[in-house]
Amino acid sequence: MGKVIKYEKDNIDTDVIIPGQYLKLHDYDEIAKHAMEGIDANFHSKVQKGDFLVAGRNFGCGSSREHAPIALSQCGIKGVIAVSFARIFYRNAVDGGFLLPIEVDEETYKKIADGDQIEVDTSKNQIKNITKNQTYTMKPFSEIVAKIIEAGGLFKYKPE
Amino acid sequence: MAKTLFEKIWDAHKVDEIDGQIKTLEKNCQDFGIPLFGLDSPYQGIVHVIGPELGITLPGTTIVCGDSHTSTHGAFGAFALGIGTSDVEHVLATQCLVLDKPKTYEIRVDGKRKNNHAITAKDIILSIIKKIGTAGGTGTVLEYRGQAISDLSLDERMTICNMSIEGGARAGLIAPDQKTFDYLKGRKYVPKNYDDLVTQWKDTLKTDDNAKFDKSFAIDASQIIPQVSWGTNPAMTADVTESVPDPAEFAKGDSSQEIAAKNALDYMDLQSGTPLTDIKIDRVFIGSCTNARLQDLVEAASIIRGRKASPNVKVMVVPGSQQVKAQAEQMGLDKIFKDANFEWRESGCSMCLGMNPDILSRGERCASTSNRNFEGRQGAGGRTHLVSPIMASAAAIAGHFVDVREWV
Repeated sequence: MGKVIKYEKDNIDTDVIIPGQYLKLHDYDEIAKHAMEGIDANFHSKVQKGDFLVAGRNFGCGSSREHAPIALSQCGIKGVIAVSFARIFYRNAVDGGFLLPIEVDEETYKKIADGDQIEVDTSKNQIKNITKNQTYTMKPFSEIVAKIIEAGGLFKYKPE
Repeated sequence: MAKTLFEKIWDAHKVDEIDGQIKTLEKNCQDFGIPLFGLDSPYQGIVHVIGPELGITLPGTTIVCGDSHTSTHGAFGAFALGIGTSDVEHVLATQCLVLDKPKTYEIRVDGKRKNNHAITAKDIILSIIKKIGTAGGTGTVLEYRGQAISDLSLDERMTICNMSIEGGARAGLIAPDQKTFDYLKGRKYVPKNYDDLVTQWKDTLKTDDNAKFDKSFAIDASQIIPQVSWGTNPAMTADVTESVPDPAEFAKGDSSQEIAAKNALDYMDLQSGTPLTDIKIDRVFIGSCTNARLQDLVEAASIIRGRKASPNVKVMVVPGSQQVKAQAEQMGLDKIFKDANFEWRESGCSMCLGMNPDILSRGERCASTSNRNFEGRQGAGGRTHLVSPIMASAAAIAGHFVDVREWV
């Protein structure tokens, strides 16, 4: 179970998730301190391990910097729930084994509120909102994405 | 000798970390036999400028690079996409990537531009992104075609393909033609059997007349005029003759877009209804993988004609590579820029991405030829307006945006 930290915004870009000035950092904890600094300087102190970030359309657009999923994951974010993802961010999140990129429809996005406690069961494509006693459906991962996620990243994944 | 301001800022910027990255790169390249065009190389520059310039980028090749603007190389009919560090590692280890087949998105640019100097490739691509949106191309590869695309030089085509990612597409490409083959011929790294390859490419890398695309979009080049972005993503762009839009009108009923536009106006400190040509600027940046090739610099210099930068505006011109710099200097462009009080710099990414000491101060407003106007992209609190090189140059002289069609 994790708490929801919600930003009602589309197009949250990689420069917001981790501004360019921090790309020279390689200590993951240092990177995490600056996660989401572009819109919320206190983000890293709000997150507890297992929390979920919820946002609108085209999350993670912009640069190919892997620092973006790293920053969120190192803060403790287990998954980002968004209406849609920019594809490089999505790929980085999966291939690096950093976090779950979970796509939901607009309705579901609107129902999940900041502070809600939720549980995600990717095997059933289900999101349970414990606070509201509601259950939502997430878009299923493609077969290959599911396998890479299950393995914990591209390097741990062994094709049959 | 006293340190320059630049050196002081550089010192304060924890140079050790960057120095460490450069040294690690040098060592890794040496250990694994990877050619490196380092800081002391005459070929040093932005990867998306030097790849084509050295003839490493070739039609029909698959190119990946740890940078989202790798889509630039699609201008040569290469399938080129940006990837993250884990994927780079995977490619270095295995020479392959797992990839779902992307959908195809035809972007037709028919007709002819009304003014080939004032209306640039940058204006074409901004006009496209303005219409398809920042996520319009998600999951697709864009193929640009039509008369106005064929008419473009390779330098210009690279500007178009470069910004495919700003429309959400990981790659964008243009079928190679005689201009492509002529551009690459004789370049340093093209294969010895280049002429044979060209014969093959002519046969295999053209768009079939009856090609079917998953999606299509068309725009008429004769209707495109100079563009200026007013907001905080590249789709928040308008014709230079327009005013800063009203968020509700801009959003056309999409409440999320309306909020985004309101936030953008707050961040950019702009009022709806202000003519774009009334917006005063503090800084100008002419550079980046989008617009730092020779033709970009030639166009930017062409309208200076003895005039000087507005005294309130600090201007930087940053060539995309050492070779571009050398060619520009051979043509005397450096002198034209310096005489106009435009700073002439060493090649690199400079003020495109706020990763080095070239940044905007909080609240500073910049006319920039780069590709992203995201919040904080050019430095925390900085305000970026995306424009073409000639528009940037004109804005530097006037101190505010101008309709550069009136100048050329």
